[in-house]
Amino acid sequence: MIEVAGLRVVLPPAVIAVDHVDLSIAPGEFVVILGRSGSGKTTFLRAINRLVEPTAGVVRVAGRAVTGADAAALRAARRQIGMVFQQFNLVRRASVLDNVLAGRLGYVPSLPSLFGRFPDADRALALECLAQVGLDHLAARRADTLSGGEQQRVAIARALAQSPAVILADEPTASLDPALTADIMGVLRAINAERGLTLVVSQHQLETALAYATRIVGFRAGRVTFDGPPADVTPAVVTAIYGESR
Amino acid sequence: MRRAALFVTLALFAWLVWDTGADPVRLARGVPWILDFLRRMLPPDLHVLPSALKGALVTVEIALLGTMVAAAVALPLGVVSARNVAPPALFVPSRVVLNFFRSVDTLVYALIFVAAVGLGPFPGVLAVVAYTTTSLAKLYSEAIEGIDPGPVDAITATGAGRLQILRYGVLPQVLPLFLSYVLYRLETNIRAATVLGFVGAGGIGFYLQTYLRMIDYPAASTTLLVTIIMVMVIDTLSSRLRAHLV
Repeated sequence: MIEVAGLRVVLPPAVIAVDHVDLSIAPGEFVVILGRSGSGKTTFLRAINRLVEPTAGVVRVAGRAVTGADAAALRAARRQIGMVFQQFNLVRRASVLDNVLAGRLGYVPSLPSLFGRFPDADRALALECLAQVGLDHLAARRADTLSGGEQQRVAIARALAQSPAVILADEPTASLDPALTADIMGVLRAINAERGLTLVVSQHQLETALAYATRIVGFRAGRVTFDGPPADVTPAVVTAIYGESR
Repeated sequence: MRRAALFVTLALFAWLVWDTGADPVRLARGVPWILDFLRRMLPPDLHVLPSALKGALVTVEIALLGTMVAAAVALPLGVVSARNVAPPALFVPSRVVLNFFRSVDTLVYALIFVAAVGLGPFPGVLAVVAYTTTSLAKLYSEAIEGIDPGPVDAITATGAGRLQILRYGVLPQVLPLFLSYVLYRLETNIRAATVLGFVGAGGIGFYLQTYLRMIDYPAASTTLLVTIIMVMVIDTLSSRLRAHLV
């Protein structure tokens, strides 16, 4: 589902954020990228849909080349890659429904969408996605009137509205308290189980990662230091990912 | 360092006083003349009130139409001048052009447009458009540069095109600011438009200048009072509206 080969990302001025990563993710996997902050998790996820431009390497998602794609092909590749962010990144002044509808922007005709017009089928789909995260009753509310946990659910609904093949979630619970962490991870697990969607979620919390992932990929200094099922995460592996200080 | 700065400032001040012929004694000698001028303005001649009101209405019309047109024309200019959404090949030359045209005041534009299209309110409107467009474009572009990049990332990740990203990621964040800038410009334009009549570009300034030339001070004072009240009313309305926006 996701093929990454020889991925290298150098951020200006000269920070090697991702250093020669090869990774192959199969359909339906729930992968947690585990690592300390600054280990390159975020940059790795953002390179998959080219929010960050890779310096070298190849990325393919659901059979489409992401690297090397021209503007139109890149948009087509992006719309099948849902993304959830640490800070939710909702349009605060827009309604909850409008935020979810934004997930349809890669599909709908461009000109009407600029005037805020979406086909009825897309509105129905957006409401359906809101129902999946349990917030269809808040559709008309302004996004910034919701709590943090609710806002992250809306962001997940927006990603779902893309009818994606995969969802990337960059530290989706780092801005939330522990109770909400379980809540949001539970929503992601439900999506993974019910829709068979491939999930790649970055986490810095070991316990959360072990509780939800079907596969753990450990990142340290931009490199993969571990790749295997949660059961194989031994104290030695933890040290390899987090370093001695933990 | 501090001493040198103080010395330079004092030296500059002294030279400025000398070169402009600034002389408190001369000002004191002029006071009786100012008082005489004020005495001759009283009481205001209310017979000219209808023409003063007519002039005031035209002034408001000039400022309103000019500001409306400029608010729209400045939109694309503001976008191409914003560092975070436009490529350098666009925003660098755009900024140079904007700074060039912004260095010319509304009154100077009025002189040019009166020569080009003749006397009346129309060259006044053109002058307001010319100055306000460039100044609003600058304010717009600064507002765009100050946005939260998060929602832009999120909309980009959905596979949206460039215009859709502007419409859904950028515009909702800057729209209240834009409206507030437009109202602020309307306030300053009302003030600028009161003197446009001095150079033949219509409005209340035309009456004020005519009465002053005819040495009809009571009529001039009526016109001046109407101007003051008009500016105060528009300022109050506009700042109340602005308070609601931000």
